[in-house]
Amino acid sequence: MNTVLAGHGLVKKYGSTTALSGVDVEVGERDSLAIMGPSGSGKSTLLHTLAGIVRPDGGQVLLRGERIDKLGENRLSALRRKRFGFVFQFGQLLPELPAEENVALPLMLEGMPRGQAVERARRWFAPLGLDGLERRRPGQLSGGQAQRVAIARALAVEPDVVFADEPTGALDQTTSTEVIRLLTSVTREQGAALVMVTHDADVAAHCDRVLQVRDGRISNHTQYTVA
Amino acid sequence: MRSPVLPLTWHLARSSGRRGLQSQSLAAGAAAVGAFVLLVMIAACLGSGTRAEHTAWRTPDADRHGTAVQALATTYVRHDPLTVVSLAQLPGRAATPAPPGLSTFPKKGEVYVSPALARLLHELPASQLADRFPTVRSYGTIGAAGLASPDELVAVVGRAAGDPAMSEAAAEGASWFDDGQAARAVVSGFAGGKSSMFTDSDQTLALLGVVLLAMPVVVLASAAGRLGAARREQRLAALRLAGATPRQIIAMSAVESACVGGAGALTGALAYVALLPALAEVPYGVGGWYTGQLWVGLPWLAAVVAAVTALITVSAVSMLRQVATSPLGVAQEANPRRTRMIRLVLFVGALAYIWLSTGSGGQLGHRQLLTLLILFYGAFWLFGPWVVDRLGRIVGRFARRPATLLAARRLSDDPRGAWRTVSGLVLAGFAAGFFSVSMLGSAGSQYDDQVAVITSSAATARDTVGEARALLDRAGVTATVTVAREDDWDSLLGGSPGVVARVSGGPEQTDTAVTALTSTGTGHPPYTQDYASAIDSTVTDRIAQVSTATLALSFVVATASAGLTAAANVLDRRRVYGLLRLAGTPLRVLNRARVRETVLPLVVLAGGTTAMGVYGSYQLNKVAGATINTAGAVELVVCVLVGALAMFAAIGASRPLLRRVTADPAQTAD
Repeated sequence: MNTVLAGHGLVKKYGSTTALSGVDVEVGERDSLAIMGPSGSGKSTLLHTLAGIVRPDGGQVLLRGERIDKLGENRLSALRRKRFGFVFQFGQLLPELPAEENVALPLMLEGMPRGQAVERARRWFAPLGLDGLERRRPGQLSGGQAQRVAIARALAVEPDVVFADEPTGALDQTTSTEVIRLLTSVTREQGAALVMVTHDADVAAHCDRVLQVRDGRISNHTQYTVA
Repeated sequence: MRSPVLPLTWHLARSSGRRGLQSQSLAAGAAAVGAFVLLVMIAACLGSGTRAEHTAWRTPDADRHGTAVQALATTYVRHDPLTVVSLAQLPGRAATPAPPGLSTFPKKGEVYVSPALARLLHELPASQLADRFPTVRSYGTIGAAGLASPDELVAVVGRAAGDPAMSEAAAEGASWFDDGQAARAVVSGFAGGKSSMFTDSDQTLALLGVVLLAMPVVVLASAAGRLGAARREQRLAALRLAGATPRQIIAMSAVESACVGGAGALTGALAYVALLPALAEVPYGVGGWYTGQLWVGLPWLAAVVAAVTALITVSAVSMLRQVATSPLGVAQEANPRRTRMIRLVLFVGALAYIWLSTGSGGQLGHRQLLTLLILFYGAFWLFGPWVVDRLGRIVGRFARRPATLLAARRLSDDPRGAWRTVSGLVLAGFAAGFFSVSMLGSAGSQYDDQVAVITSSAATARDTVGEARALLDRAGVTATVTVAREDDWDSLLGGSPGVVARVSGGPEQTDTAVTALTSTGTGHPPYTQDYASAIDSTVTDRIAQVSTATLALSFVVATASAGLTAAANVLDRRRVYGLLRLAGTPLRVLNRARVRETVLPLVVLAGGTTAMGVYGSYQLNKVAGATINTAGAVELVVCVLVGALAMFAAIGASRPLLRRVTADPAQTAD
């Protein structure tokens, strides 16, 4: 496995509570990793630590061999913008922007001219089954459609890693399956890695590997055979 | 059983934490600003009326069987009007009561002056001012009861009934310039309903300011009510789950917002009371105020506090009702609130109606004018959101930067919200732009160097020329003195017989010439440019003052509105902002977008109407052969710059809030 992102000996404490207690994790290219665990187990903290949102109190995070947990806030922010993509449970799309501009926004933030950014953003709509919805606003989309727009936005910058935090948490079973299939397949096609937090075993089963986290430690590591 | 609403509201308010306290403080601050601005405007309105009443004694009702002769004259010193009331007891008649501000009726040779005039008499050489009055050992003082303002220049002179200054010829004057500045009557007291022309229009124009500021204050109050909306929505959901009825929840919100709004409005009212002495120093019309004139009284004070509190409460409850009736619609903003073309049609229709109403040539009363103004205002309120919507779409089409695109889309998404923030400035800007640079009341400057004396006949005029030359020469004034041509209707004397002195030098020389020539002619004070332009310039000057003050107060209200709206938006949108920031969106992009949301409509609409006002005034000045009022223009620029900077600062003030609410990564589970 060609490692893209790695966390070694990650420790994170919130006051007297230990959220992560020496966690080791590696993610490779086209690899998809689901992080599962009960509430308060530290799964979201692990995702945030790997994504450079939270600084670990111990251990290190490496992106393609480069240590990122010591970077300054501005560089970390730029790193998240350029090399990571994010899909959250809901509410990540700007309600006043049409879908295509929501997708184009990270490209524009990187300095790409607006016309080019929107053009590039539109390319994602057909593969994600969003054809014809380019000018719709998030409020005019169904939950599944909005999540697919969020996936398009996460992938538009051609990231190394896509982080997804309960991406199907607000969707029904059918839509959830449809969205997770798209997320895993399109991420893989793009050559990006996927790190996903979920409490749903069916959703996790779409990933190559599943990490079970309990009390800030990895309690189980399951490797699925990719068909 | 006791209602749980009050104790529960109190408990929730106390436990709402730092963020809840911030919201409540901001809402209370907005209520304070709203109440303060309203009270100041009402005070100016009522105070102007009181001031005008204090001048009515100078033109009392005539009484054929009166006991005294009263003559009103106006002269100018350093371009300021000086009202001279000459009084003469008629021999053999009953004693006349003392006029307001004096303890006794003045005897012949006595001179009473207002405190401001006393100071000026002390400062200026006698040849420029004091010699206009009979020589006295000491001046008496006119009390506040006889004055409109502590800065007003007024003199009461006791004379003999046969004195030229008391003659009908002196009062009749030369032309329509005398209207309101000179009068004579036989009187038996000082009751009268006609106020001085220098205070007559003050109240109506102050009312204009109240009308212009009413809506911005309503907007501010509704923004304050909206501030805690997001927090209350969450509470609504939680309490509904806990079994509270919608009525209880609405009652709790109403109680909370009424308490916050009431506390804020009361603070604003107390600030108004505490600042009364400072407010009294702000000049309007004839000058500053007596503090008592600006005291609105307890009923008004209570009414304003109640009105602002009610506005905030209604705004908060209506926000909650929207959530209660259609929570999904509000939460997801499924449909952008587009504006329709009908707004443009109605706006054009209203303008056409106003044009037809005012263009017929008939004289409009104050009430009709006010009605048309309100109609104009209403038309703008319809039209404004439509323009903001179009502006958002146009900017959105051509935006190249993310921040501009975000701002433009926000404008199109909620044009009414953006309009509300700047609406007060749009209309106040137009009025201030027009009147602050206007010189229309100055009637040109064709008499700038002239001092004219009216005589009883052309023959007398020829005799007076020599006398005038000698007096001016003795006073050290360089002037060319000629007999006024009787066919020259454009002269300062309007075709009446008299002499005209063309004086070299500045205002000091003019004042000296006026003083030297006061004793000549019919007894009417000499005419000057200030006298000739007084009727028009008084109204124009007042409108300029009111519109600039309204613009300044509109900026105060708009600053508070913009700051509150920005803070409310951060709190309402903290999830999306937070997630965008987690995904690497720089804080400065979000900030720029927030600032541009206000700057775009502010610059285009408020800046546009202000520029239109200035341009329109400039063109009219040009037609009238005048330049622009430079001092007014500087005042306008300073007001606009300071106001705009204050607005940016108010929006920028919520930047730490944005940083704080987006810095918390624990927005997702564990």
